[in-house]
Amino acid sequence: MEFVANPILLYVCVALGGFGVAMTLPRPKLSPQVIGALLAAVGLGGAFLALGLKAGAERPGFYFYVFAAIALGSAVRVISHPRPVYAALYFILTILASSALYLMLGAEFMAFALIIIYAGAILITYLFVIMLAEQTPEGAEVGVASEYDRYSREPGVATVVGFVLLALLTGMMARGMKTIEPASPRGEGIGLLARMPKKVIEAYDRLGVLEPRGGFARPEVSGVASRLSTSAGTMSLTVADVEKVRKNLDDPRVAALFGEEMAAGVRATVQSGQTLTLRLPGDLRAENLDGVGFALIAEHPMALELAGVILLMAMLGAVVLARKQIEMSEAEKAAAARPSH
Amino acid sequence: MNTALSNLCLAATTSGDFAPIGALTLYHFLFVSAAMFAVGVIGFVSRRNLIIMFLCTEMMFQAAGIALIAFSRYHLNHTGEVFVIFVLTIAAAEAALALALVVWTFRRKATLDAAAWSEMAG
Repeated sequence: MEFVANPILLYVCVALGGFGVAMTLPRPKLSPQVIGALLAAVGLGGAFLALGLKAGAERPGFYFYVFAAIALGSAVRVISHPRPVYAALYFILTILASSALYLMLGAEFMAFALIIIYAGAILITYLFVIMLAEQTPEGAEVGVASEYDRYSREPGVATVVGFVLLALLTGMMARGMKTIEPASPRGEGIGLLARMPKKVIEAYDRLGVLEPRGGFARPEVSGVASRLSTSAGTMSLTVADVEKVRKNLDDPRVAALFGEEMAAGVRATVQSGQTLTLRLPGDLRAENLDGVGFALIAEHPMALELAGVILLMAMLGAVVLARKQIEMSEAEKAAAARPSH
Repeated sequence: MNTALSNLCLAATTSGDFAPIGALTLYHFLFVSAAMFAVGVIGFVSRRNLIIMFLCTEMMFQAAGIALIAFSRYHLNHTGEVFVIFVLTIAAAEAALALALVVWTFRRKATLDAAAWSEMAG
């Protein structure tokens, strides 16, 4: 049995990281933030090296380590920076690095949605509120962070709590995890393609396999889902659909859709009503976006509607909460209600 | 190494021709997620600025998102990604409400210090 990481080494590294994080937190007097940051980096970096030693022998997931380091480093900076504006900017860096991790996991749609929604919208709202609320008080020295930003509350206890949680989680997680399998060459799989007849037809149409209907009308092949063999990656088409095939057989991409002997058969004679089995075009793949779309709309439509209702309610609540209450006497109300001429 | 500890360990599959992702295990991504979550917890408990505290909850959401995407990829379905969409929704709703509350509390006490509201603890 082989192990990715020695658990004792892992726990030592986690403890070291925790000690470093505790030192980076803002505190009164003597603030050895640099030493703390170095310790945290050594600790968390050591944990990663322990994880990476085994993987590195096979093939290093180099970018994973780079972006994980950026994400965690800036996450520590978010909680240790005395100025809220910089903390929010470092959080944007965390978002960018973790969207790189999403990309690495093949979740392209969510990676870009994360950047647009989180970094683009939510964090900008935070920045606006920070700038609204963080005005330097009258008479105070400009450029000095407020007292509650410079000193943190119980950094030692907080760090112990956080890193005991982390140690527990790492211990729990390490039970029987396996390698992430490589993605299939068809992207999200042929099963998904069976639900997208238009995409399959268009891929054949691009190669000129299907008989054009003239004008802008697309060729139609009915019942794509039933004709698609998901196990073999082929699709059966009747000859009425493939009138044009014989002219295009010189195109190597079209010829590749047929087997050798079948291509010869098509060249020789195709009788009306005969069924041909074609391979799916090589560039036909179901993308991540297709999969997310089907999962979202077809499998969770109710949750999607509820999410919309939640957003609407939050918007109403925010408007009600943030509105300024203006006390008006009865006379003023009457004056405001009277139409002015 | 005793058996109890080795149970905690991650058995690496000796893989042959894997794509670069193959060298990474689910554990790697879950470790990033757990570490980010722990940092978020530490920040939430120890920082005194209300806005930073809410920023730390966002960081915990973010950590959960990484774990969800990793599991989604591991099981090769999209439910995890759809979950992240809803996490984003909740995060946006939470940000709107929390920031409205922060503005409201700032108007009342002219400070963002969470300790200013400690009388609410009773």
